[in-house]
Amino acid sequence: MFYIQYMWAEVRRRRGRTALTAFGLAVGVALVVTVGALSQGLDDAQDEVLEPLTGVGTDLSVSRPLLVRGDDDTAAAGAGDPFTQLSDEEQRLLEQENDNHDAAFNYSELGEPGEPFSTVSLLSSQLSFPSSDVTRIQGFDGVDAAAAGLTLRALRVEGEVPESGEVASPHGPGGGFEFSDQTISGVDVRNPGLAMVTPDQIVEGRYFSGTPEQTRGEAVIDLGYARQNGVGVGDTAVPAGEGEEFEVVGLARAPLGGQASQAYVELGRLQEVSDRPGRVNDIRVRADSVDSVAGLADRIETQVPGAEVVTAADLADRVGGSLADAENLSSTLGTALAIVALVAASLIAGLLTLSSVHKRTRELGTLKALGWRQRLVVRQVTGEALVQGALGGLLGAAIGIAGAAIIETVGPTLEASVEPPSDAVGTFGQGAINAGSTDVVLGAPVAAGLLLLAIGLALLGGLFAGAVGGLRAARLRPADALRSAE
Amino acid sequence: MSDDDPDTERKPMSTTTDSPPTYGLEQASRSFGTGSARVVALDALDVTIERGEFVAVFGPSGSGKTTLLQLLGTLDRPTGGSVRFEGQPLERLGDSALADLRLRALGFVFQQFNLIPTLSAAENVEAALAPLATSRSERKATAKEHLDAIGLGPRAHHLPAQMSGGEQQRVAIARALARSPRVVLADEPTGNLDTRNGEMVMHLLARLHRELQITLVLVTHDEWIAERADRVLRLADGRLIDSSAQPVAEEEVP
Repeated sequence: MFYIQYMWAEVRRRRGRTALTAFGLAVGVALVVTVGALSQGLDDAQDEVLEPLTGVGTDLSVSRPLLVRGDDDTAAAGAGDPFTQLSDEEQRLLEQENDNHDAAFNYSELGEPGEPFSTVSLLSSQLSFPSSDVTRIQGFDGVDAAAAGLTLRALRVEGEVPESGEVASPHGPGGGFEFSDQTISGVDVRNPGLAMVTPDQIVEGRYFSGTPEQTRGEAVIDLGYARQNGVGVGDTAVPAGEGEEFEVVGLARAPLGGQASQAYVELGRLQEVSDRPGRVNDIRVRADSVDSVAGLADRIETQVPGAEVVTAADLADRVGGSLADAENLSSTLGTALAIVALVAASLIAGLLTLSSVHKRTRELGTLKALGWRQRLVVRQVTGEALVQGALGGLLGAAIGIAGAAIIETVGPTLEASVEPPSDAVGTFGQGAINAGSTDVVLGAPVAAGLLLLAIGLALLGGLFAGAVGGLRAARLRPADALRSAE
Repeated sequence: MSDDDPDTERKPMSTTTDSPPTYGLEQASRSFGTGSARVVALDALDVTIERGEFVAVFGPSGSGKTTLLQLLGTLDRPTGGSVRFEGQPLERLGDSALADLRLRALGFVFQQFNLIPTLSAAENVEAALAPLATSRSERKATAKEHLDAIGLGPRAHHLPAQMSGGEQQRVAIARALARSPRVVLADEPTGNLDTRNGEMVMHLLARLHRELQITLVLVTHDEWIAERADRVLRLADGRLIDSSAQPVAEEEVP
């Protein structure tokens, strides 16, 4: 077709104009591609940090945290606290839990005065749910699966039995006793993917072997704790006190920002040992879709008294450091930068196209004098602008890919840090928030969709500029167009 | 008729009494602007141009020559009166119909040549054929034929910038003739050429007019060119002051 021949001649023989227009668009497209790739890289980096944090498929974590004022003032909830909504039975269980927590020992029961002793108290510092709540939550719309967990504080007190009648609080050091504290979690081994510790976290040894019965004597130990205390796979551990022995089958790495306990044992066994049959204090829920998470969180908090729901998004908010700063920068400034760049590039390309069309007014008037209808003139100019848009898009994509490749090659390192909750309302007593920081290497993956989008936008810019310029010129009366100076 | 012999009897080459003239202008006017800024470029012209006639539009700068040619070429519309082409009033035609009329019946030759700078000589001729439903090979053959006819076959693939002014104007003439128009409208076709090239172009136009029996309307302010026409329309200040078939006298040129 002659139009293509003409178009090609224009693009080829007006190299300067073509290059300038295409380059203007290319700058915008390159920025879109690079910023998009960088943004994707930041998302990936954040996902990399959050993936273990959010667990495998865990969308919601349900607990009943206590309001804590201090070590000596436990379970003190003020007016309007959620626990007033509890049933009588729940209130009784709360008292039972607090009784345990506040229990003072009569050390004379531990032996003769002067004899060494070692005792472990399994304390719950938060309210628990009956196991039936797990079943109830499983029945909620939007729930795919739910698993129960029980996390307790194992307070070990060691020393010599004092004189008869002496009473000491197990809560703080003093009285010549040695106190050590660790957390122990009961794991629903039937739902490993939603459990307090997941198979993915195992770095040495293995995960629980199978059914609750088979795993009653097994324990998984936190890697950091194991290293500090010289515990290895195959050792025998007594996290719940003397007489309750477990075989260490695996070591697990605590996820950054996740809830980590020092020891994990089978849920039923921990309930039994701690005299909390049928009680759980952490319910992990997987939603059937991302869209249902928010609604589900509201439903659980409304329908399960005292429940506090933490979503994966809440956990993500705990991540700070340069990664979070960069992610925030990317999501705000990055997107704005990409939009501004593309708009600016489109404007530049549009103005260049309009200027070029203006300079060719007499040429276009000549075409009209030759009998070219208006639509043919518009088609010609638009076609040329489209070709320039395509060239700009491809050039910009190439520059953008190169920019992303440079970022990949340099591989800047970002820090992701997690701070423990600072307010009074926390997950005290539950597996501690694993605060700390980790480094993540920033990549800049270029997705095919991003390239297509950027090139498509460049084409759209070309199409728009060409159509506007072509229509403007084609609408001129041929006589006016012919009077125009080259 | 010989273009070398200005004294030969001047009359339209194919005038017929039973078919309408190529052009019929009745009180045709064209003004620009409004109010006190209004400029009358053409003032109530009554002109008839017969088929096959070679008419020179003669007059000084600003006399309305080019405006008249643009009305005849349907590149502009009159602000008053009417312009008929072969009996058909042009004011009733829309832009697309006028474009079709230009495509099928009119050829233009401009003072500045108006070749498309990015296209070769052959492609420039092809541009005139592009809106027609012709095949690529047919289009190329037609372009070659017309360039060969004016002796520019060897320069077919040269760009305008690679050709002399005379060659460019000959390409423009080939382009104007590529669709076998019934009318060729030439706006000072020798205005940008030296005497030798101007003579060559005029010789070519006169020969084509004679051989192809086309109506040729040529705008000029050169006496020697006007002398070659069958008839001269003399304009001054937008008015027709003479339309005689006589050669233009030197002292009449303002």
